Amino acid sequence: MPVSYSPREMISMPKVYENVLLAVHGGAGVLTREVVTPSIEQKYLLRLEAALKAGYQVLKSGKSSLDAVVAAIKVLENSPLFNAGKGAVFTHEGRIELDASIMDGSTGRAGAVACVTTIKNPITGARAVMERSPHVLLMGKGADRFARQVGLPVVEPSYFFTQRQWERLKKILREERQRGKAAPERQQKFGTVGAVARDIAGNLAAGTSTGGMLNKQFGRVGDSPIIGAGTYASNDTCAVSATGHGEYFMRCVTAYDIAALMKYAKLPLAQAAHQVIHQSLEQAGGKGGVITLDAHGNCAMPFNSEGMYRGCITADGTVAVAIFK
Amino acid sequence: MQMTSLSLHFCAVGVANCTSSRLDILLVFARGFPAVGKMMCKSVKALFLLILLCGSLATACAVRAARVVADRTAKLPHAVLVVHGGAGVEKGLTVRQQEEYRQVLSAALLRGYAVFKRSGSSLAMVEAAVRYLEDSPLFNAGRGAVLTRDGKIELDAAIMDGRGRAAGAVAGVTVVKNPISLAMAVMRRSPHVMLIGEGANQFGREQGVEIVDQKYFWTQTRQNELDKMLEQEKLNKQSNRSGFAAHKYGTVGAVALDGSGNLAAGTSTGGLTGKRWGRVGDSAIIGSGTYADNKSCAVSCTGQGEWFIRFTAAADVAARYRWQKVPLRDAADTVIHKVLGSGHGEGGLIALDRHGVFAMPFNTAGMFRGYICADGKPHTFVYDK
Repeated sequence: MPVSYSPREMISMPKVYENVLLAVHGGAGVLTREVVTPSIEQKYLLRLEAALKAGYQVLKSGKSSLDAVVAAIKVLENSPLFNAGKGAVFTHEGRIELDASIMDGSTGRAGAVACVTTIKNPITGARAVMERSPHVLLMGKGADRFARQVGLPVVEPSYFFTQRQWERLKKILREERQRGKAAPERQQKFGTVGAVARDIAGNLAAGTSTGGMLNKQFGRVGDSPIIGAGTYASNDTCAVSATGHGEYFMRCVTAYDIAALMKYAKLPLAQAAHQVIHQSLEQAGGKGGVITLDAHGNCAMPFNSEGMYRGCITADGTVAVAIFK
Repeated sequence: MQMTSLSLHFCAVGVANCTSSRLDILLVFARGFPAVGKMMCKSVKALFLLILLCGSLATACAVRAARVVADRTAKLPHAVLVVHGGAGVEKGLTVRQQEEYRQVLSAALLRGYAVFKRSGSSLAMVEAAVRYLEDSPLFNAGRGAVLTRDGKIELDAAIMDGRGRAAGAVAGVTVVKNPISLAMAVMRRSPHVMLIGEGANQFGREQGVEIVDQKYFWTQTRQNELDKMLEQEKLNKQSNRSGFAAHKYGTVGAVALDGSGNLAAGTSTGGLTGKRWGRVGDSAIIGSGTYADNKSCAVSCTGQGEWFIRFTAAADVAARYRWQKVPLRDAADTVIHKVLGSGHGEGGLIALDRHGVFAMPFNTAGMFRGYICADGKPHTFVYDK
């Protein structure tokens, strides 16, 4: 059952859900009701719900928020609907380059991978970097090699292929050729998936995974694998996962900025998230949104794009999922 | 008589400008660098003297002096450039060895300052200074960068413009002579913020930045360091670790403030000796190793990059300064001595705000560092005080 916001509510302050254990997002962007028909909407909402339930099961069995974040994101990565793992977008050269990161709010440890091409679930790659290497960010072939070395499930790059994304790349390349080199910045959908969770011990965690931008330049990295930009978690403040036009999130250090506003300016979660998305990011010209969760279970999911695939599940198992405002 | 009152007016304006922010700088100097502090204290005294002299309205000499003060403030708005060459300084460098590093730092400062005098922006100052340090084989950036486990060189760099927070970063580049200039090209001539690996190299070729062979970066010193590390690892059988503690971190960076009050920050590094798996440190991460925002400050970090990423160190200094409203020096000290220290992380940073106040804290034995202000003279340091 989609949650509806009144437009006024959206402009003033995002809705705050209470007693939330886990929240997920499946990307933000230009999603109009014409594009997202009811049947498509239903498919996405079901997947989001499945991800929430997978993470919820993990939390209910007493496991950590990190486990829940990984479980929820794996469901979304494995689904061809979202731009992460299988079903990710293609680069300009027709490759698939995946980014992911994860952060543990209780210890401040973090892990990330960028431009990996063979790790089946990049979020597990990020977690392995955090737990089994002394590093935080590994990139490219080196990161793929690391994943193989520590025994993560590895696939051929073709595993990630979907006809739908291939058609989208072909279409955009065709348009580029027709318009000449200077193709206008397309109104794109920023598909990224992410999760924030709070476990029984009250520990927070956040994770994000993406295929990046459709038709992206060789080697382009967005905000998703950047700690502080696309992902951040600290028990003292909040857990954040972002989605949107990554470049702006990097410049604004968006995820960390929300935490900093809570910590130093003493703003409550919803206000901090609202200020960062609707003022800082908006003024910089960036579009997108975040899901945020604090240690008390307050959850706010503001965005300044037309829609964001999002949802959360409370301690008693109540699920709320939505796309539009 | 008219002339006199005009000059006096200028003088008053000059002094007023000097009061709050300038005195703050002077205090910072006085605390951090006794020698410079003394000098500055003298100039404070001189200023007060001037006020007294002007107050008397008597001598033509005072009027002339007032004119000088007015001119100085008009022509040289607070231009400041601060650089670092890494916080991984070993204990016990001889004076001669220190002198070698300090000379390069001085030259980099002068290079950056010369750009400013040609009415350059803070961004251009940062780029010029960092380029100079990259070209020196002494520092772990550009030529003379450390080697990866397979004996290669992978360079990271980032630059950020405090005005509008535009940013550019590259990681894992292997053929670009000056990674800081490539980061600048990413910022200026691509719609992206970060490019990595072969994609970044390719962008460099397309943009016509100077391309070199890997051999250009290689130095015997770094080869010896790698050999020694691999040997030690064999002895310790630390097969899965990159042997952090034993290894120095050199990085170069700069922060600058120009005549229009714009801040900029840049950082460039070769990373860790013996790094592998495509490891990227904090230098290339906006918010961790590099950050600049006119609303707060410009920061460039050096040290165990992993800790700087976890703590989003550069953005943390800026956030404390902006939202907690603490003085820049306190914000920078807290991040290095309390936050970073809490995780047993080692390193240092340089930070600079729009009033020209700067800080250069570190929690290691030493940090190659220096600054240049309105007087155009470089001041460089290696160890404490």
